[in-house]
Amino acid sequence: MAVKIITDSLSDITGDLVKKLRINVVPLYVRFGEEVYRDRIEMTTDEFYRRLVTDTVFPSTTQPTPHDFLAIYQELAKETDEILVITLSSQLSGTYQSALQAKNLLEGKCRIEIVDSQTAGMGLGLIVISTVEAARKGASLGELVDFVQRAMGRSHLIAYFDTLKYLAKGGRIGKAQGFVGSVLSFKPILTIKDGVMSPVTRLRSRAAGIDYLYNSVANYPDIEALAVEHCTTPDDAEALIERLGSFFPRERIYQSTISPVVGAHAGPGALAITVLEAEKA
Amino acid sequence: MKQVNSLGGQDLREMFVAAAGWLEKSSSEIDALNVFPVPDGDTGTNMLLTMRSLVEEAYRAPDHSAAAVAQAMAKGALLGARGNSGVILSQILRGLAQGLTEKETFTAVELASALQQSAATAYSGLSNPVEGTILTVIKDVAAAVQAQVSGGGDDLVLLMEAAVDAAGESVGNTPNLLQVLREAGVVDAGGQGLYTILEGALRYLRGEVEQMRFRKPQIIVGNVHATKLPEMIAADEDPYGYCTEFLLKGEKIDTDRIKKKLEKKGESLIVVGDEAAVRIHVHTLDPGEVLTYAADRGTMHQVSIRNMDEQHQDYLEMQKEKTPAVNIGIIAVVVGEGLTEVFTSLGASAVVPGGQTMNPSTKDLLQAVERVVSDKIIMLPNNKNIMATANQVQSLTEKTIAVVPTITIPQGVAALLAFDYEVNLETNTQLMQKAASVVKSIEITRAARATQLGGLEIKKKQPIGFLDGDLVAVADSTDDVLDQVLVRLDLGKAEVVTIYGGADIEADEVEQMGSGLREKYPQLQIEVIQGGQPHYDYIVSVE
Repeated sequence: MAVKIITDSLSDITGDLVKKLRINVVPLYVRFGEEVYRDRIEMTTDEFYRRLVTDTVFPSTTQPTPHDFLAIYQELAKETDEILVITLSSQLSGTYQSALQAKNLLEGKCRIEIVDSQTAGMGLGLIVISTVEAARKGASLGELVDFVQRAMGRSHLIAYFDTLKYLAKGGRIGKAQGFVGSVLSFKPILTIKDGVMSPVTRLRSRAAGIDYLYNSVANYPDIEALAVEHCTTPDDAEALIERLGSFFPRERIYQSTISPVVGAHAGPGALAITVLEAEKA
Repeated sequence: MKQVNSLGGQDLREMFVAAAGWLEKSSSEIDALNVFPVPDGDTGTNMLLTMRSLVEEAYRAPDHSAAAVAQAMAKGALLGARGNSGVILSQILRGLAQGLTEKETFTAVELASALQQSAATAYSGLSNPVEGTILTVIKDVAAAVQAQVSGGGDDLVLLMEAAVDAAGESVGNTPNLLQVLREAGVVDAGGQGLYTILEGALRYLRGEVEQMRFRKPQIIVGNVHATKLPEMIAADEDPYGYCTEFLLKGEKIDTDRIKKKLEKKGESLIVVGDEAAVRIHVHTLDPGEVLTYAADRGTMHQVSIRNMDEQHQDYLEMQKEKTPAVNIGIIAVVVGEGLTEVFTSLGASAVVPGGQTMNPSTKDLLQAVERVVSDKIIMLPNNKNIMATANQVQSLTEKTIAVVPTITIPQGVAALLAFDYEVNLETNTQLMQKAASVVKSIEITRAARATQLGGLEIKKKQPIGFLDGDLVAVADSTDDVLDQVLVRLDLGKAEVVTIYGGADIEADEVEQMGSGLREKYPQLQIEVIQGGQPHYDYIVSVE
């Protein structure tokens, strides 16, 4: 029986890709005041970003409940006895905790392993995609846990933000706090390191920021997978993919939109690339 | 979410139980924020101990009415109050209890009005209320909840949300009100504590008790950046003395008289309570005197005398441990208030005053090097004449020094911005040098005397312009000089122009120059900053 794989909606794996990979994606929640929405299910990404800019209420985000995970565990337990859950960084969200709690609530003999990916967005997404492939090749649950942990070291997410306003307001600024409060305006480049937002560098303009993303891919000689995602600027994402096409097959670059849950902190205009380095033989 | 129209004593108590638990999770982080009135790093702990005493007493309330529970909590807070913020918190509770007198349950309107009472009572306990502290936060909260109910809001959950939002904003603003916070780059610790308490209460009302187990309160991020290292904060002030606290019990105690008497004995005096029990808190050099005075007026309980200078030392140790592991420090040579802020807000670990016609000594630079915690240091001299001095420092210290040869302020800023947190000293030096070499620097000053230079005829006091250190323009107005320099550049490739106005230039003059450029070059992003540098009327960077 094949190992079933579950991730959360912050993996930015959506739509047809979910079906193709045959995985389950547990949504987090977005809250505007008293209105609560399931990420990407009850509120579209477009709708969310429109409201993020225009709404007076600042959205907050919440992890899935243990019950959300339990329902999926129970469903999957009918067809498998091994489940692997890969969540976003436990330092950015309580999703990992919910997944763990649900495991304790599940009765029966289904084995469940839960891994904290220490990243988010396509940083997590590419780990999941790579793991699905390993599972298809017949890796056992134990082997897959090892595989994920190695993949975490190969996954590098580099993000460009138009503003740090939302990140600071949402309290997830992490080690990038030193970037806040500058007298001079700049565009930050951030990454997720050891599970928390961390500063990389600063550029003076959006164009220079996007150039930085492009150039940073060149630092990796051997790339297994590449992803580009955006919040509200599909044209910029498209142009970046076009440029990246010069050294990585264009059609193999994953394109996605940044989940509203992350977008609430990243703000409109953010772009991110993720490089999954190839595993060294 | 369902609307909550009224709450009773049990809910009130549970709100505070949840709040105490919530506060406990971040009390040590709140300790680390503590710089006012004394940087002794105990605010979070003190508030937590006050909350615990309050909760304990809440369970002893004679019945489940809101009034009885509030009364018990106020008593518990007074009995258990510790530290400045703890005592002010007890005043907030006292105001709340007064506001809820005789109420079996309370509505949003009643809670809003009780919180007004809290704010008023908090201020009244202090002989010298300071804004930018927990006081400002409770005042802003009171105003926000009043506005909420005036707008017809009768849902208690929404009311508490308004309170938490207002508290968050207010805490974020405390550095703008209190200089010592601004210098330390932190928000007020007591204010943060109150925010966390309100947030904990709100989460209880929202039914999130279960989730709270897995989450942590957030520390509000102020919009300021530290301009002083921890050990510099209040370093040259007088000794702090002893934090002296006790509970005075007796009959017909006259709090006003005690307050008046003790005002002259020390700082941060708080005298709160009623005729039967008064909590006294004062920072004094002579605790004996205070105790002798109090002993004549009743019996003393929970006497606590702590040496704050010792606590301050512990605090410094704590700060050292907390200081993020920046393994590379950056020291820049800069003069001018605005420019100094530009560099510190971009993460320079230290700024040594200096520039054109005022070069720092090797000793000045060495001192900065020794003061910065990092063992690896990048120096930005930002002036040709300081380069040699900067290069000398390496021979005098065991730390590793790399000098990025910046000869202008724009080069220094460009280099600092390009600092990459992910790479080592060597790569950073290269990256920063590269960034500095790309930026164009324009400096505009006035000729010290009449001269002929570089084929230019220059009269005394005439505005002259330098491009990357070379004299290239002279004209009768600074605007014309700038134009002359700009036409020499390929602006088609430029994106951002930053203008730093000098010390002798009015803010609106700099703004005017900015708008002039915006009109002329609409494709460019023009940024204007009051640099405050002497010597150069304008420094302009083109990137």
